[in-house]
Amino acid sequence: MLKKVAVGIVFVGIITNFVFAQDEFFEPGYAVGGYGELHYNSSKIGEDDASKKMDFHRFIIYYGYNWTERWSFKSEVELEHNYVKDGNGELELEQAYVNYHSDNFGFQAGVILPSVGLINDFHEPPLFLSVERPDYSKYIIPTTWFGNGVAAYGQLGAFSWKAVMHEGLNGDGIASKWSQGIRGGRQKGYKANAEEMVYNGRIAYTGILGLRVGSSYTTTKALRSGEDIKSIGVSLIEVHAKYDSKGFMTVAEWGNISYTDHSVNSSTGYYVDLGYDIGKMLKLDGKLYPWIRMTDINPGVGHESEDSKHYSKIVFGLTYKPINQIAFKLDFSTKTYADVEKDKATLLNLGVGYNF
Amino acid sequence: MRISSIKNPFYGFVFLCVFCSGLQGGIKEDVEKIIKSQYGDSIVFSMKKLSLDKRVRTEVEQKVHQRFFKDFIYVWTIEADESVKAFGLLDNVKGLSMPITFLVIYDPKGIILNTHVIKYREPYGGEIASPRWVAQFRGRSSQSSYVVGDGIDGISGATISVYSLTTGVMKLSLLFPLIKPQL
Repeated sequence: MLKKVAVGIVFVGIITNFVFAQDEFFEPGYAVGGYGELHYNSSKIGEDDASKKMDFHRFIIYYGYNWTERWSFKSEVELEHNYVKDGNGELELEQAYVNYHSDNFGFQAGVILPSVGLINDFHEPPLFLSVERPDYSKYIIPTTWFGNGVAAYGQLGAFSWKAVMHEGLNGDGIASKWSQGIRGGRQKGYKANAEEMVYNGRIAYTGILGLRVGSSYTTTKALRSGEDIKSIGVSLIEVHAKYDSKGFMTVAEWGNISYTDHSVNSSTGYYVDLGYDIGKMLKLDGKLYPWIRMTDINPGVGHESEDSKHYSKIVFGLTYKPINQIAFKLDFSTKTYADVEKDKATLLNLGVGYNF
Repeated sequence: MRISSIKNPFYGFVFLCVFCSGLQGGIKEDVEKIIKSQYGDSIVFSMKKLSLDKRVRTEVEQKVHQRFFKDFIYVWTIEADESVKAFGLLDNVKGLSMPITFLVIYDPKGIILNTHVIKYREPYGGEIASPRWVAQFRGRSSQSSYVVGDGIDGISGATISVYSLTTGVMKLSLLFPLIKPQL
């Protein structure tokens, strides 16, 4: 009798497997994607003639391979400024990691991104309004910031979190480029010194439709070369919010980097974007955003030349997205320094960006 | 059954089959748990694998500019009091690099009652599984608009998944009236 029941169970089990095999919903294989952006920049300082340039700023290829539903590999290779020669242009392995993903938890190991601000995680050109990334995402958050390390992430209802530990920062680079925040300290995974690590944690909330609000904290000791030179203590705290709904495209980010044993006490900055899609109003195919941005960047608080690098910028722009993966952009801005002796700069940018 | 009989290779095989069935039935079980949670344990339902006619498939794919993951979908017919209350259609769409498995429950007229993300496999964008976001599809049908940014809000950080799933739901909504006679 027991044997007959068992045979029945086997039969049902085999039939079930035939009828509903999990591999009908997942197959091992690769995925390819990418993004890029072409820019035209015209910059005029004071009464000088405007400098004009065209640059295919970024060309990125994404390649991933999925072994199973849980184990995959993901990578991005980036070519900046068309080619690499004599110290110009950059070819970077921006991401390359093994990813484990369970339903609400995962981890990564390889070349990874710290989760800091909006743009470092999500930097495809159609996702931001301006031709160039916001200045904030250069001098306060040094995007794209990547390094060799490990990360864990998870989702809990409307909250998501990520914790990252990766290679440290180079203190000499920070000290020599004090007006660029911690940008000069990135090691970019190149035989990176790992005696000190960067520790980063982020939490974000997406419980209201169209809204993302998040905050992160990042800390490290940036090692210096030479005897009796103290490491630079770095603590970066930031908050960010984006509302993309009902035609509005609104973004706000604020961040502050505190230092110890550095010629600068802190680097601080923010920007606010206000845009509205008038494409439907004009019966256009696609979305058309007139927008305005207000920015203030002070990378060298407490430095003797602080005012020469502290500036405010107001930007007016127009962004057209015929489809969501392509954006044509135009913006015009004026940049005013705290040092009143320093000439005002006016900038005109045109660009096209895409992702797939 | 004595413990020693477990050592019998036949029972080992039985155990393996049962174990494998349990593993592979994860998606099916999740779907049926959702159906029961919405209609109660006493609801009657049946599942079938529905092959999609090539002509029908192509017609829908050309309208939405997204391919079907396979040439079939799974359909649950949900009945109570000897009448059909709803149909559940289960399909996949491609996210950035991984498939997203989702279920759309329609009333017999093809109007969406509920949408559920059954399995999300990407490190970013898990927010699209939130009930609040997928509730935006409720009440839509083959006649409705499915445009992100125009009646359907996006999610910052889940852009590709949002567009992909929205198109996937539209695809099933357009498919529904074409396969209704087979359901």
